[in-house]
Amino acid sequence: MNTDVKTRGHARNTEFRRGLRAALPITLGVAPAGLVLGAQAAQKGLTILEVPLMTGLNFAGGSEFAAIGLWTSPPHILLIAAVTFLVNSRHILMGAALAPLIQHLPRRIAFPALFLMCDESWAMALTDTEQRGAAGMRPGFSLPYYLGISVVFYVTWVIFTTLGGASGPVLGDLRTYGLDMAFPAIFLVLLRGLWKSARGSLPWMISLMAAGLTYKLVPGAWYVVAGALAGLSAAYVLAGKPQ
Amino acid sequence: MTLLAILLMAAVTYTTRIIGYAGLRNRDLSPRALAVMEAAPGCVLISVIAPRFVSNDPADLIALAVTVSAAIRLPMLPTVLIGAGTAALGRHLLG
Repeated sequence: MNTDVKTRGHARNTEFRRGLRAALPITLGVAPAGLVLGAQAAQKGLTILEVPLMTGLNFAGGSEFAAIGLWTSPPHILLIAAVTFLVNSRHILMGAALAPLIQHLPRRIAFPALFLMCDESWAMALTDTEQRGAAGMRPGFSLPYYLGISVVFYVTWVIFTTLGGASGPVLGDLRTYGLDMAFPAIFLVLLRGLWKSARGSLPWMISLMAAGLTYKLVPGAWYVVAGALAGLSAAYVLAGKPQ
Repeated sequence: MTLLAILLMAAVTYTTRIIGYAGLRNRDLSPRALAVMEAAPGCVLISVIAPRFVSNDPADLIALAVTVSAAIRLPMLPTVLIGAGTAALGRHLLG
């Protein structure tokens, strides 16, 4: 019994460290984005305490960029809340996709764990669950692996947005170093991991076209919602057709 | 006001994180619903980066094309470095 507990504790540590290692390369994209966001927030008048308060409590970069872009003094609270919901509405789909995989977790663990769910941790945990599941491991979802990833992202995000807030005006344009390309690079590698077949990825292409078109035609963050809905509709229609 | 805006943002964001899970937990999903769920991750990820694909900047489009071909073959870190490197180089030469 005692050994069993020890072994499981050891396995948990190993899984947690596996998450930490998997997340490290991605901080290369997260850190410069955090610096940029912090610098922009400082320019809009947020204090050195308000920057980590926002990024630490919200922990959703896309909505923070959108909110800072719209920030006035005093801020339009309802506008910011609505935009935050719009940009983060993808979390609803993400949480729904995750639900069957974390059904075995008690609610007192699942609810706090979901606070840390972001695009990267979610996609990486989902890919990992599939690989572990295919290797016959039950449950496929590894909570310590997910938490390892999340800790790296959370700490990196809060530290670098704070640094950006502190050193904002001194910092040059990070685009000069091409660091803004890190985000699409990360997302594309994650997509490669989720790829199953050309047919299975057809909805992605529909999403890409719908989101690109919406971005060109409609101001604001609607393109995320439009792209996701178009792709999901395509998946729904395709699922009804014979293979 | 700033504090209120930050707290409201946090509440809205946490709500989006839990309602998909809380609303769909312990439910049997149809094969069709599962197919939609399966497509969801890719659809959302690609929608978030879609603006890059319709950029007007040739340097950004070239860098994106290089990044896509790197992402197909290489692990995370080299892909990120190649993406950032080609974007910086392209902007230096074309910008």
